Amino acid sequence: MLSLSMPLLAHGDLSMRIAEKTIAISEDPDNSELYYERGLLYQQHMEYDNALEDYLKSQSMGNSNKALYYQIAEVHFLTKAYQEALQSINSYLELDSMDLSAKKLQAQIHFNLKSYKKSLEGYRTVILNMKDIRPEDVLEYCNIILAENNKNYKAALKAIEYGLDQLGPHTISLQLKKLDYLKDAGLTEKALEQYNYFILEYSRNEFWYFKKAKYLVEIHKPHEAFISLKMATVAVEQLDTKFKNMGPVIELKEQIKSLESSLNNQKS
Amino acid sequence: MIKKSTFLLVALSSVFSFSQTSHVDLPNVSDVAVTMPVSHPQHSTSVTVVRGPYLQSGTPTSVVVKWRTDIATESVVHYGKSLKSLSKKASSNNVTTEHEVALSGLSPNTKYYFNIGNKAGVLSESVSGEMYIITAPKAGTKQFVRAWILGDAGTANNNQRNVRDAYYDYVDAAPKNSGKTDMMLFLGDNAYGSGTDEQYQNALFDIYDDMLKKSVAWSCLGNHDGKSADSATQSGPYYDIFTFPTAAQAGGIASGTEAYYSFDYANIHFIILDSHHTSREVGGAMYNWTKADIQNTKQDWIVTLFHHPVYTKGSHDSDTEDRLIEMRQNFMPMMEANGVDLILNGHSHSYERSYFLNGHYGFANTFNPDDISKGGHTVGSNGYGDGKVDSNGAYQKANTAAEGAVYITTGSAGKISGGDLNHQAMSVSLNQLGSCVMEVEDDGRGGQNLTVKFIRDNDGIDDYFTINKSAWVLNTDRNASGQKSAGLLYDADKDLVRLDVDKNDKLKKVKFYNNIGKLVKKSRRKTINVGKLPKGLYVIEVITNQKAYTESITIE
Ligand SMILES: [Fe+2]
Repeated sequence: MLSLSMPLLAHGDLSMRIAEKTIAISEDPDNSELYYERGLLYQQHMEYDNALEDYLKSQSMGNSNKALYYQIAEVHFLTKAYQEALQSINSYLELDSMDLSAKKLQAQIHFNLKSYKKSLEGYRTVILNMKDIRPEDVLEYCNIILAENNKNYKAALKAIEYGLDQLGPHTISLQLKKLDYLKDAGLTEKALEQYNYFILEYSRNEFWYFKKAKYLVEIHKPHEAFISLKMATVAVEQLDTKFKNMGPVIELKEQIKSLESSLNNQKS
Repeated sequence: MIKKSTFLLVALSSVFSFSQTSHVDLPNVSDVAVTMPVSHPQHSTSVTVVRGPYLQSGTPTSVVVKWRTDIATESVVHYGKSLKSLSKKASSNNVTTEHEVALSGLSPNTKYYFNIGNKAGVLSESVSGEMYIITAPKAGTKQFVRAWILGDAGTANNNQRNVRDAYYDYVDAAPKNSGKTDMMLFLGDNAYGSGTDEQYQNALFDIYDDMLKKSVAWSCLGNHDGKSADSATQSGPYYDIFTFPTAAQAGGIASGTEAYYSFDYANIHFIILDSHHTSREVGGAMYNWTKADIQNTKQDWIVTLFHHPVYTKGSHDSDTEDRLIEMRQNFMPMMEANGVDLILNGHSHSYERSYFLNGHYGFANTFNPDDISKGGHTVGSNGYGDGKVDSNGAYQKANTAAEGAVYITTGSAGKISGGDLNHQAMSVSLNQLGSCVMEVEDDGRGGQNLTVKFIRDNDGIDDYFTINKSAWVLNTDRNASGQKSAGLLYDADKDLVRLDVDKNDKLKKVKFYNNIGKLVKKSRRKTINVGKLPKGLYVIEVITNQKAYTESITIE
């Protein structure tokens, strides 16, 4: 045992637990549960082929547990074998049609199979029924909405608002995505409002003044861009010295300068 | 529903006898009546507190008190500044075994004693005053802060108890601020083997009961907590037990999730990440939040905690495991560039502590001990030293550079698991049981020292180091009010701005733009009354017959 664990130490305790499970299997080779358990360990260790082999072995030995279907689907999903993944998650959902984690995985599989309508339908159920959604879920949902129809910013923005409603109005990852969508949808006034939201909401806003200036240049409002660049400059000047010396702020100062000079060149 | 009927019942029970009230035809009432100890004092003794109280999500003005009872009952917290007079009350009529009461409207930096109970009376108290809340100081306050750091503690055995007792001995005997622990920072794997509720009871509540009653506990998610917790739905024991700020209630920026969040304490900004379940991708939701959050803080110190270590050659290997590599390569460049000072990780069951580092994102064998100015990975003339004040000297964080951070992998608060323990970036690597204490205090010259000590299970202090920020680094002008550019005079008392226009120029137009770039005031005069303008930053565009330029002012 000692000689076995020594070279494995570098890979952490997971490798050791796999080795232990292998010994358990050799002592009780007809136990389908043990293969399932070792498969879980392999999966955690990202040895997906070994994981799948163990799951299938467990299944062939008569393990018909629904959790096994889920794991098989997940491993197929992780190895991009989406058809096989779909088959297994469908089997799972036949046993438990209400399981939201499985519904979510199914929607993700549909997404990768480019069955966007089905994906959207499934994910909508997940979003509306999951007790505690996360910002990541809302963003994924928006992504599916736009995959299904790349002009449907209205629905994507509605989903963002739903997320803000559920998770708190200032949830940053959703507010950032909202800005992207407003810009992509060409809703310039709303996009500017969104920049102002960040400027007003946050205690340090030098980055936001600059980003807003850049956008104002893009939408051909050079004078407003010029004012926003001035704001950015003043905001940087008002920072404590230690922040002024940080890489991102030094970089920002250079970006402000270069945008300012390109604006001046446009004028003359 | 329950809330309503309970309220009614209480009102009735003061008029009718208990047996009469139970006949009132209301939904849920009979259930409630059985556990209502109001008119049956013997019932109150039958309700027992089986978990807590423990403190969560502390801010300068609020805290959440949580506890569990064996029988469902109401939640009442009595509190006050004097132990003899707990005159204030926060309560919920909801009948439950899982109690969660938020106290708000508290004063910053203030000690409140408290007890917990139900409507019938007190269920848990400390007559000697060992149950209290000390509210957080206002963000930005410079004062002594002590945090107890526990990584991978949850074995529920004597190793864990010995490590705990060594810290209790340390803090009781501390020459300064003895007995004071401002917070507990758990680095994940708080309860083996899979963070179930029962395992949490044994490894967290039963072990740290005394401390949890007087010190706010914060945590990040470990892989063993993750086995029974589902970050995708924020459900399971980990998310049930802990209550973390999702909407920036304790400072920072709203993450919208308890999986990762931040908080301010005194002049320290803490960033808590989920390195286990959540996507660690650059541009992912957690990354975007972290970047926005760290670029929004004005705090003097930035500390981050997450479970999977950036550098380790212990029972895990940061050269081969994906989560560790991803946190290092994806998060650390951005966090270092924005001034992170201290990184606390667990997972490997050992104590490994780095030199004063910057920019080391490769494998252990690519570590270059030279200073960053020479292409290496350490910062300052003694960055490759031991960081001890009485030896190679404290690491120095100058205000001319954001670089320099110490990484600690401290996951031996419950067990040790060995390993090669030879990561080149580590100044110290020990296969010993222990926990860490972080203390931030005055350096006696107007600056501050952040010192971390590794306290062994046998009370020995086997490692320590200090990061110093001089007075000049800390001495900051937090109040931007009244700042202005050179070309104008501002008389705040008279609300007057006077432009200093070139003698040869003739002033034509003056325009004031507010903080969102909106034109809010026009003038043609050199002296302008700004009494009607709201406080904030303004850019002033000045146009003369010769030129156009801008000035700026922050109106008080
Ligand atoms: Fe761990």
